[in-house]
Amino acid sequence: MVHIAGSRAGIRRANDLFGKFSAAHHLPAGAVWPFQIALDEMLSNIVDHGGSARPRAKAKSSKAGIDIEFRLDQGVLELTIQDDAGAFDPLTAPAPDTTAPIESRPVGGLGIYLVRRLMDAVEYERKDGRNRLVCRKKIEA
Amino acid sequence: MRIAEERGSGVVVVAPGGRVDSVTSSALEAKLLGHVRSGDTRLVIDLEAVDYISSAGLRILLRVANELRPMGGTLVLCAMAESVREVFELAGFTALFSIETSRDRAVARARAEA
Repeated sequence: MVHIAGSRAGIRRANDLFGKFSAAHHLPAGAVWPFQIALDEMLSNIVDHGGSARPRAKAKSSKAGIDIEFRLDQGVLELTIQDDAGAFDPLTAPAPDTTAPIESRPVGGLGIYLVRRLMDAVEYERKDGRNRLVCRKKIEA
Repeated sequence: MRIAEERGSGVVVVAPGGRVDSVTSSALEAKLLGHVRSGDTRLVIDLEAVDYISSAGLRILLRVANELRPMGGTLVLCAMAESVREVFELAGFTALFSIETSRDRAVARARAEA
C-alpha cells in the first residue's frame, strides 16, 4: 500500500507509480490504459467529492487519506484504492444515458460507468471506516 | 501536457499529447475555449498522440462542441488511437462528434462544413 495525497498532485503521483509498476512488469500498452483510466476516475472522484460527505471537509483538496496498491497475480491485474472519506459506494451510481443528444448529454456518472465497462470486475466495501474499491482485469499477453 | 497547434485556411488544429485526464484536461480546456472565444470556430482536434482519455477529457470535448454550436462553428476529431476510440464507443460519444481517420481529412471536413 502506498499513501498518496487527496489532490491533483496525488493523482499525478499515482499515475507515475502505476507507470513504474507497468514498466517493471512489462505490461502491454493495451493492458495499461484501462487501469490508467480507472485510477484517474476513482481518484478524482475521491478528491473532488470524497470530502463532501464529511461536514468539516470544505477544502478543495480533501484531507482524505488515500492508499493505493497494484498487484499482478497469475495474469490478473488488480488495483486497490482505499480512502477514509465518507462512505460512498460508486457502484450504486446509475448508468448515464449514453444515447442522449449532445446538448443534453449527462456527464455525471460517466467515469464510473467507463471503469465498470473497462474492467472485468469492480468491487466495493466499507470496512473499518474506510472505502475500499478493487478493480480487476485479466491481462492479455 | 504538450499541446501542438497549427493554423491554416481558417482551420485551427489542436493536437494534445499524452494523458487527457483529470490532471491535464484543464490546460486543454483553456486552450480550446480560448480559440472558440477569440472567434476560431473551425476546430480540429488531432488525437493521434493521446495515450488515453478519461471522462474529464470527454467532458471538455462536450463543452467545446456545445459552445461552438450556437456560433455556427465546426469541430472535427481525428486520428484516434485504439484506447481513445474504445472509450468513445463505450461512452456513446462516437455518435456525437464528427470523426475522421486522418488530420488531412479532418481539416478538409472542417473547411467544407459550416
